[in-house]
Amino acid sequence: MSDAKAVENLITITIDGKEYKTKEGEYILNAARANDVFIPAICYLTRCSPTLACRLCLVEADGKQVYACNSKVKEGLEIVTQTPNILEERRAIMEVYDVNHPLQCGVCDKSGECELQNYTLELGVDSQSYMIPDTKRETANWSSVLHYDAGLCIVCERCTTVCKDMIGDSALTTVKRGGAELDKAYKDTMPKDAYAMWNKLQKSVIAPSNGTGYTNCSDCGECIAVCPVGALSSRDFVYKSNAWELKRIPAVSAHSSDGFQIYYEVKPTSIEDRSEKIYRVTNEWNYVSLDGSARFAYDFENRDAIKDQKAFIQAIEAFKKAKTIRFNSVITNEEALMLQTLKEKMGLKLYNPEVRAFQKFLAHYAEASGQSLYSTDADAIMKKSDFVISVGMALRNDSPGLKYAFNNVQKMNKGAGLYFHPVGDTLIPSFGKSVECFIHKAGMEEAALYLILDLFADKEKLPEEVKIYINSFKRINKETIKEKVMKEVVETVIDEETGESKEVKKKVPEMVEKEIEVEQNGLVELLGKESSVFADTFAKMMSKKEAFSLMVGEDFYYHPKAENLAKLVALIEKASAVNVVIAPPKSNALGVALICDLDDEAEGYTIGYNENGDFKLSALGEGDLDMPAMNQQEGTLTNMSKRVVPTNAALAYGGYELNDLVRELIGAPKETIDWTVKLPISKGFKAVEFDTLSNGYTNDGVENRGYLLDILIKETQMPKVEKFNEADALEGEIAYRCNPARQFSDFTDKAHEIFEPFALYASRAKAESLGEKAEVVFENGSIVLDVIADDKILGDIVKVPDFKSAQNVYELFGGSRYKNVTIRKV
Amino acid sequence: MEATTLGIVIKAIIILAIISAVAGFGTYLERKVLAFMQRRLGPMHVGPYGLMQILADGIKLFTKEDIIPQNANRLIFALAPAITAATAFIALSAVPVFPDFTIPSWIPLLGGTFVPSVAADINIGILFVLGMMAAGLYGPLLAGMAQANKWGIIGAARTAIQFLSYEVVTGLSILAPIMIVGSLSLVDFNSYSSEHAWLMFTQPVAFVLFLIGGFAETNRTPFDLLEHEAEVVSGYATEYSGMRWGMFFIGEYANMITISVLTAVVFMGGYNDMLFLPGWLAIILKIAFVFFLMLWVRASWPHVRPDQLMWLCWKVLMPIAVINVVITGIVIMV
Amino acid sequence: MGLEQFKNRNVGMQNYRMLDLGQTPTRSFDKFKQVVKRTFKGELFVGLWVTLREMVNSLFRGELHTVKYPLEKLPISPRYRAIHDMLRLLESGHYRCIGCGLCEKICISNCISMDTRYDENQRKEVSEYTINFGRCIFCGYCAEVCPELAIVHGSRYENASEQRASFSLFEDMLTPIDKLNLQQEYDGFGAVTPYADDHIKKTPLAY
Repeated sequence: MSDAKAVENLITITIDGKEYKTKEGEYILNAARANDVFIPAICYLTRCSPTLACRLCLVEADGKQVYACNSKVKEGLEIVTQTPNILEERRAIMEVYDVNHPLQCGVCDKSGECELQNYTLELGVDSQSYMIPDTKRETANWSSVLHYDAGLCIVCERCTTVCKDMIGDSALTTVKRGGAELDKAYKDTMPKDAYAMWNKLQKSVIAPSNGTGYTNCSDCGECIAVCPVGALSSRDFVYKSNAWELKRIPAVSAHSSDGFQIYYEVKPTSIEDRSEKIYRVTNEWNYVSLDGSARFAYDFENRDAIKDQKAFIQAIEAFKKAKTIRFNSVITNEEALMLQTLKEKMGLKLYNPEVRAFQKFLAHYAEASGQSLYSTDADAIMKKSDFVISVGMALRNDSPGLKYAFNNVQKMNKGAGLYFHPVGDTLIPSFGKSVECFIHKAGMEEAALYLILDLFADKEKLPEEVKIYINSFKRINKETIKEKVMKEVVETVIDEETGESKEVKKKVPEMVEKEIEVEQNGLVELLGKESSVFADTFAKMMSKKEAFSLMVGEDFYYHPKAENLAKLVALIEKASAVNVVIAPPKSNALGVALICDLDDEAEGYTIGYNENGDFKLSALGEGDLDMPAMNQQEGTLTNMSKRVVPTNAALAYGGYELNDLVRELIGAPKETIDWTVKLPISKGFKAVEFDTLSNGYTNDGVENRGYLLDILIKETQMPKVEKFNEADALEGEIAYRCNPARQFSDFTDKAHEIFEPFALYASRAKAESLGEKAEVVFENGSIVLDVIADDKILGDIVKVPDFKSAQNVYELFGGSRYKNVTIRKV
Repeated sequence: MEATTLGIVIKAIIILAIISAVAGFGTYLERKVLAFMQRRLGPMHVGPYGLMQILADGIKLFTKEDIIPQNANRLIFALAPAITAATAFIALSAVPVFPDFTIPSWIPLLGGTFVPSVAADINIGILFVLGMMAAGLYGPLLAGMAQANKWGIIGAARTAIQFLSYEVVTGLSILAPIMIVGSLSLVDFNSYSSEHAWLMFTQPVAFVLFLIGGFAETNRTPFDLLEHEAEVVSGYATEYSGMRWGMFFIGEYANMITISVLTAVVFMGGYNDMLFLPGWLAIILKIAFVFFLMLWVRASWPHVRPDQLMWLCWKVLMPIAVINVVITGIVIMV
Repeated sequence: MGLEQFKNRNVGMQNYRMLDLGQTPTRSFDKFKQVVKRTFKGELFVGLWVTLREMVNSLFRGELHTVKYPLEKLPISPRYRAIHDMLRLLESGHYRCIGCGLCEKICISNCISMDTRYDENQRKEVSEYTINFGRCIFCGYCAEVCPELAIVHGSRYENASEQRASFSLFEDMLTPIDKLNLQQEYDGFGAVTPYADDHIKKTPLAY
């Protein structure tokens, strides 16, 4: 559909005498790149706003010099990428960049993939015409992962741009460098743009925007990825390896459900140990932005696993007497299919509390909406949407991809956003001026959806009873408000010099009480906002908005009334122009939900796959039988974008795989990836061989990875939704099951560059009241945790992480994400 | 004084012991002389100036594996080196190596024993020596034929033609001196030259022919076709190893000494005192010179082709030798 | 200019001067005459004289060519590519290698490998460096590409050892700190042999 639309909008432009087709409203630079025409540019980032820091992308459009990164194409535009003047400017710019840039390419980590090196060569800089005294610029560590070498920085501002426009943390900014003033003589002698660029460059340097020297951000490392030079790097990677020694292995991030495309970069561990090790993770940063777990949680492999025959025989026996297999979402589609086949052939139960709730929710949604899957995804939201709503998830923690989309819409699409969540967040309001946060009571998610229906639904399409129900919340209130009125008063003033008295007319403000009629929306009140104020803000937010998106998350799946929520979501989608994305909780949850028939309860002898059980298969290295970790196996994952994406083995694995067990038990093909073609077509999968799946992006940013799931559509009635009960709102002390950003599972926890501990996360005020350690008492048990203050949390709800499967947090919370608890100081 | 059996036995032992040792030492000398002529140092590492090299070589030869090829005629293969060594030493028995002497009487047991200059002073000495050397032909010939190796066969064939052909030259060339001296006994030759001028001056043509024939018969450069590496690997000795090969080696060097002694005795005045030099020293120097000449020639000249060898023998040397005999006869008659 | 010289396709004749060797004798008498001539001309004795002369020279004038190799060694050419050396900075004594990895990259037999790390002084430190001399073909690219003149070819050309690893570690190649004053710069590939002028001779055409 979108493709057909794009074809309609194609226009013709001419670049260097050749005609090209491109989309209307595209920047010249992007249009050129999509057509494989090279225009040099350092500071521009696709999907982010142009910064105009480098000025290299200077081109001539219809005879006028413009910057290709911020001027848009129009029909018949004639672009010349090189004129003598432009070449002179570009060369001068590169010379300026090279002024005082330390000649330490020999040791620099970026050498070999450095854009400064590349452009210096590309533009033929073989001599230096400019000079200025250097300023001492110190290296600094900004966080547990960020290392900044100011000396190497060329202040292209890509890091600040990506942090602001994509990540949303806005943790970096440019500050004064305190460098020497430019010689005024240069102003007349050197090219204009180069001078302007230099003038700015000489004055600025990058620093954390909170002024502390520490970024206190989500440590996603995207700034490292976009840095064109060696200024920003991972603390762990500094001076470890040259870029050219690393072998890139295209893969998929194994932790969040975003399924980001990544490259594992591997090289032998050391001179003695020639087995390969992952040194870092890189990405196509123009087209995909990673979260911290994707970038830094890479060394979770199951090292030194061997084919332990005894354990294998034990495993076979365990399978034979087992009643249940317990697993989580960190498995490939192929493995999920194997487990499903085991279930069918051996009558085992499949127990996966993590995915089961999501699967049920998805089923309810599908039944209500007639669509087997939700309609949009993070990428589509960023490209098209200008109004995003997030309900039922801790956006920052649960789904980094949706967080980026939420933020990007505000920054790039002049968008607006609504965020409903019981746990207050300080970061999300900072995404944009038009972001409204509802900190509602836990349990009031249905009210939020009803409000969305009220705000966005086409009232004509709504069923009558829903309309009545929504209207039942609205009241016309007579309110007395104080209004300022200018009143004219006559005063007698005596002139001091003359002694004459004079009458002067003067306007004086006066408060007058006035009674007005206000429409009050009980839903807004219920969700914790002033209804009259919100009405005005919402009106402003709605102006010029066309494309709406709704993100719903894990809170819904664990909601006591999940079915009703699913129907409401379906109703919203049917009755309004809002597109919906239902975020799978973790990793391959969507794939597991589609492939496996999960059971609600575990019973009898249980085999745990990366989970607790009587017999443990584990890729974490502590089970009864070793299994390959996600970076050691081939296979496909189903990500949030409903895409089946291939991942490859980056590291060697010496032990048994699940396929070996399945072959021994019921017979199986030779390789795990031979299962790829067998993925259930009835669920939207395609019978495609693994080896034919691609994993990359084309030059114009088209995601060319794997294949999209087919969405099966059947006609349905408008869903029947239930009313909600205000009494369901949770009161008192509440714990929320939520992982810190960058932590998703035991695998992220195993990685050495992930530092977020398994602890109780609370707002600063709450944390101070709790002290250093606290015991959280649930109905069915308790857990003792360190208390960590998170400045980005507001309110009294505490977050209890679940990423350690051994801690059994899922059991404690049962079928809900919010629980009334007693928290005791320890 | 009359030669006693004991004296002859002692003489035989001396010849065997000393000549074998000298033959070994000869290899050392050869290597050294060749080295110097090529501005090298030669063996240097075993003992002072490499003097103990022969010892090292000896140990090596004795301890090397003795290989007999599968298809070889084992008996003849084993016998052939012995023939070479034996004929070489037998030939020496009729050659006066030192002057006569008596063992001083203070030495117990052997004191007063007379040791003759020649172990077997037979009156046809020269004929015996030449005959024995000719019989030595059997060594290489049988060795080459017994070892079932084509290089060996070629070597054997070359042995046959070369030794037989040059036997003629040696015999004819020495005929003229025999005619002058009138005896076949080498002692008589020695006595003759004590009264007359050396035969190399009165019979220069015979001297040169004898030298050439001697070189050929001892298988020396420029006539070393029997075992020329570049052509026939190692000729008749290709399959030999260890001490069997060592016996060929000793035989060859013993033959060189025999020829040197013959030359010294027949043509160069024998062991007569010479000016201030005592006779024993004079003969040693003369033998040494002829031996040196062989090495010297090896260092200087290239070797000839087999066809040239035959051509030289039958078309040049043999006629000259005959003419020399005829002229000598005429001169004696006149 | 005519085309004659191009039409003459008898290549190989124009630029050669044939030695005057005379006629090869055909008749038997001529052959005999040649033999007699060669025999009495004394050419054989010239050969004997030459060898004798050299013997005298070597024995009494010490004009020997032999080098008693393990005991005495000839100086090698500065261009010679032997076992690598790792040089130090003369001022500080610190090793010159900065761990840039260019040698590792350029090595055509893939025998160099190194590990680097971020050290306490915020510098790149070479924590391990090794050359696999079982594979090294001594092409010299590593020395040529080194931006710091750190890895060079040294003078150790005796690479027989009981273990391949014997000289392959950084410490083995590094100039010992107490011998820093003896450290030699590597002249490199175009270097001229010392005293090269003395060794220049006229081409001996008059043989």
